[in-house]
This record gives sequence, structure tokens and C-alpha cells, in this order.
Amino acid sequence: MGVEYVSVQWNRQKKFYDAVLVGGVAAFLVIFSVLTKVLFPRVTDEIMLIRAFGTGAFLLLHIILCIGPLCRLNPQFLPLLYNRRHAGVTCFLLGLIHAALVVITYHAGSDTNPILSIFVSSPINGSVSSVPFQPFGFFALIILFLMAATSHDFWLANLSAPVWKSLHMLVYVAYALLVLHVTFGVIQGEGSPLYVGTVALGLVTVLGLHITAARREVALDSESRLTPHASRPTESQSLVTSSPTEDEFVDACAVADISENRARIVCLSGERVAIFKYEGKISAVSNVCQHQNGPLGEGKIVSGCITCPWHGYQYQPDTGASPPPFVEKIPTFNVRVKNGRVFVHPKPNPAGTRAKPATIDGSSRREEAHSVTGNSESLVTLAATKK
Amino acid sequence: MNDEFYIGWEAKAAPGIGKTLRKAVVCLLVLAVLVPVLLAMSQRMIGVSVFEWGAVKSFTGVLRTQPYPHLLVPRPGTNDYHTLQSVINSPASASAYHLVAPWKFGLDRASIATFDGKSVSLKGTLIYRGNQTMIEVMPDSIRATNTASTIGLPSVVPLGRQTLLGEIVDSKCFLGVMNPGHLTPHRACAIRCISGGVPPVLLVRQKDGPAIYLLLVSADGKPVNKQVLYSRA
Repeated sequence: MGVEYVSVQWNRQKKFYDAVLVGGVAAFLVIFSVLTKVLFPRVTDEIMLIRAFGTGAFLLLHIILCIGPLCRLNPQFLPLLYNRRHAGVTCFLLGLIHAALVVITYHAGSDTNPILSIFVSSPINGSVSSVPFQPFGFFALIILFLMAATSHDFWLANLSAPVWKSLHMLVYVAYALLVLHVTFGVIQGEGSPLYVGTVALGLVTVLGLHITAARREVALDSESRLTPHASRPTESQSLVTSSPTEDEFVDACAVADISENRARIVCLSGERVAIFKYEGKISAVSNVCQHQNGPLGEGKIVSGCITCPWHGYQYQPDTGASPPPFVEKIPTFNVRVKNGRVFVHPKPNPAGTRAKPATIDGSSRREEAHSVTGNSESLVTLAATKK
Repeated sequence: MNDEFYIGWEAKAAPGIGKTLRKAVVCLLVLAVLVPVLLAMSQRMIGVSVFEWGAVKSFTGVLRTQPYPHLLVPRPGTNDYHTLQSVINSPASASAYHLVAPWKFGLDRASIATFDGKSVSLKGTLIYRGNQTMIEVMPDSIRATNTASTIGLPSVVPLGRQTLLGEIVDSKCFLGVMNPGHLTPHRACAIRCISGGVPPVLLVRQKDGPAIYLLLVSADGKPVNKQVLYSRA
């Protein structure tokens, strides 16, 4: 978080992140280059470097793409996400050096403009090896450039998080283009089963992790989807009545479903809402962090503030506003607690609007205590209390 | 329940998260070492070719412009100018060095037409692979050294119609300016070089024995750069 723009807000963990990033990239480039030179002494330096930087950028892009779903599946990987933008910019720089060397080596000094040559120097003759693979790489690099150029929080704030996020989702288009670039380029030339296998393994890993994370996300959304007219009881709700009240408050969950200083995410009219429990109170806010649309409901109350699991942005749970001097704000939701259940009004308040936290009453606390024991006897007791 | 929570701007990660992070870092560093080793070792064999970049040398011989500019240089032991005429007429005693211009261009045949068939000196950089040699000629370095009379082209020996399957490469890159200077990644460069007048070559790989390197010319011994470029075969 910051109240003014600086190039990088360095801290210990960012320095550690970048040290590992630079060390890993340097190790890759040096090992590839030295080994290639040793095994193939006659290889020309520019082609050796083209290959080193190209393969390095492609591997790094795989790692970057895997971080997101890994964190969705296991929050213990969140440190890898924290400074991912530096990895993205590094990936772009590696790709840029690869592309510059390619243009100088293969296209410059000819009878055609070097950039135009990328598009006109590979006529298609019907064979797989004649598919012009370099334009795929060109357009992928343009996307990576746009992402790297707008990676700073200045652009995030000025473009707005949804626009910025949409722009950065283009990384998947860039990845698809690069898979084509490699498949119709170096794989056609090298023909080594290891090259084919490596690209296939990378593709399967990226797709597999994303599909697994998406399926889990869909299942969670399905479980937590609630509407003002038809609440869907979860397992823990099954013994209590959950019907919309007259003033449209929706029965979202039981107080006991929420751990202290943590949240439960519910889907209200298509929007995810994070319901936090803290200091005997309940507050509900939008699940979307204003910074990078991180999932606030997977965050935690730290020092009295909702803290985003992605980059540590903080919001006061009752107002949805970041503590001064920070200025970020998120929508809040009106909440009630009655008979141990949390009711949320589905209409969000404007970002930064104070919504009075609901106090967890005595009966809710008792039900919570019963529920924590987790045995069927206590649930039956709870049902009896309700009736 | 493990309630550890990671906050990037805090000085230190929680112990459990830190432990996972250390394992992840080790895995990533192993990848950074293992992947380049495997990829580097799996590269296709790269041929023995040389471009003596930066080493400009002087050459003397007889320049010919057809079918592509080349310099006939007497082989060691026969480089006596008094016997040059006989050297030229005896292929076994002369080497033909293809001549090209810097970057992706062949020598402009019109600008060197006045030297055709004459003994010249020139400066350039050697490019060679196997028994094939090429010189990248420094611009404006060609000088006539004597006025040799008309020299006939080596006699032509017809081998009959052949069917050959191979890859068309640009001779300059393939001989050593780039290595590897062939296959799909190099295709665009080959097209630019051939478009710029570098002699096209048909590279025929054999199961047994070395690859055959055939300079492509028309039936009447003329350059075929345009035909090669616009061929869709």
C-alpha cells in the first residue's frame, strides 16, 4: 500500500523475491549458454543467445502462469504471488532481448524493413514448417510489453482495477501465441522429442492447474450462491430455516460458520461478498480488493483491518475504507445477526460507506459454542432451540 | 486449524509459510538448472562452419560473375601468376570462392561486370564449411591487377536428369555466417538473403555420407534467386 507513487516500494520480502528471480534467470542463461558453447563450439553467439533468452522467457512465463492457480489451491504459495509483477517484467525483458537479437540476426541488413520482414519473409507453401511462426512471437511480445508497461500501481489506479485486470488477462492470449510460436518454430527445426515433450508438459501443467483451480472455484461459488428469493442452505445450515426476510436481507450463513478474524464468502446476486467475524461483531464487504481484485474473503483481520491475501492491502471492516493516510475504498453491505445466523442485504453500499457491524448476541455465541463441538447431538440441540 | 497468514510487507513470513516458500524456491532453482541442461544437450548437432568475423584478408584471383560472382584462386603450390591461365583452366588446381556483399546481399553483378574474367585483388572475410569457401567482400575493395584475356568457363559435364530432395538454403548463412544457418527458424533469413542476391543452394542430406551442396542455376547458367523465391513447391 502507498499514498504516493514510487518506482518500487522495497521491503525485505521483495528483495528476497527479486534475488531469487534474478539468480534463477542468471543461472538459466549462463548454464544454457555455457553448455551450448561447450557441446557445440561452432554455434554462433547470437543464435546461442537467441535460444537462451527465448527458452528462459518461455519457462518463466510458465512459472508465472502457474502461481495463480497454485495460490488458489493452496494459500501457502501466496508469497510467490506477492511480487509476481517483477517476474512478469523480467519475462518481458527476456523476450525483448530474444526478439531484438532475432530481428538483428534474421531480418536486419536486408532489402526489406526488418519489422515488415517478420510478416513477409515466411510465405506459406502448405507444409507445417512453412507456417509463419515469428508473427505469433511478435504479437505475444506486444502483449507482454503492454502488461509490463502498465504493471505499476500508477496504471492500476488510473485504468481502474477491472480494466487493468482485463488487460493483464491477455497474458493467456500471449501464452497461446507463444505455444504456437514455439510449436511452428524451434520444434520444427530441432525435432527433438525432449523439446516436444517439454512444451507439452508445460502446456498440460498450466492447463491442468487452471482447470483444477477453476473447478474448485465453481464448486465453492455454487455452494455459497444465495439470492433474496431462494437461499441455498449449506450443510451447516441444513437444520435451520433460511428464507428471505421481508426487507430483502438474505440468510447468508451461520455465525458459527465463520472463524474468528476470518471470513466466509457468499455469492449474492452474482457478486461475491466477504462476511468477516471479529471482536464479537460481523461486517460484510465486497470480496474484491480495490488494488488488484484480490479475494478479500480469503484474507484475515490483522490489527483490526481486513487484510488482502495478495498484497496486504487493508480495509476497515465497518467502513470498507483503508486506514488513513491510505485512500482505497471498497463497498460495504448492511448485515444483521439473528438467532445465530447472519443476514446480509444484497445491495452494496457505495465504497467507503460505514455499515454498522452486527453484534453477535448471546444466543449466537451459545450456538457457536455448540457448533464448534461438531457432533450431531449439538446440532440437534441447535435445531430444538430454533423451533 | 493452521491460521497462518502471509503479508508481503511484514518483515518475516510465518514459520509454516516460510517452510513452504523455501521448498518452492529450491524447486524453482532446480528447474532453473535442470531445464537449461536438458534443452542445451538436446539441441540438434550444429555443423562445423566458420565466419572469420573481423579478420579481413586480401585475396587475389580471377573474378567471374556467372552464374554467381566467384573468385578462382590457385591452390597452394600453383599460385604463380605466370601459370595462372593454366590454373584456371584446370579445375583441380584452382579453388572457387563464392563472393557476397556484407549483410544479406550478393555482390551486384552489374557493378563488377568490368572485372569479369580478369585477375583482381580484393579484401574480405572468409566464410567456410567443409570444402566450400565464400568471401564477404569489403565494399569497393576490388582492384584489377592485370588484364587477363578472355577465360572460358570450365567445361560442363551433363549428369542427366536427377530427382533430389533437400532444403534450399542461402549459401552465406549456411556456410558459416550463422550456425545453424538452416532449418525452420532460419527460413525467413534465407528468404531475405536469397532476395538480396546471395546464391541459393540445395542442401541434400544423405543417409550415409556427407550432405551434398548444389548451387542452383538455370538451365542456361543464370542465377535463379527470383525463381526460388516465388516457387511454392
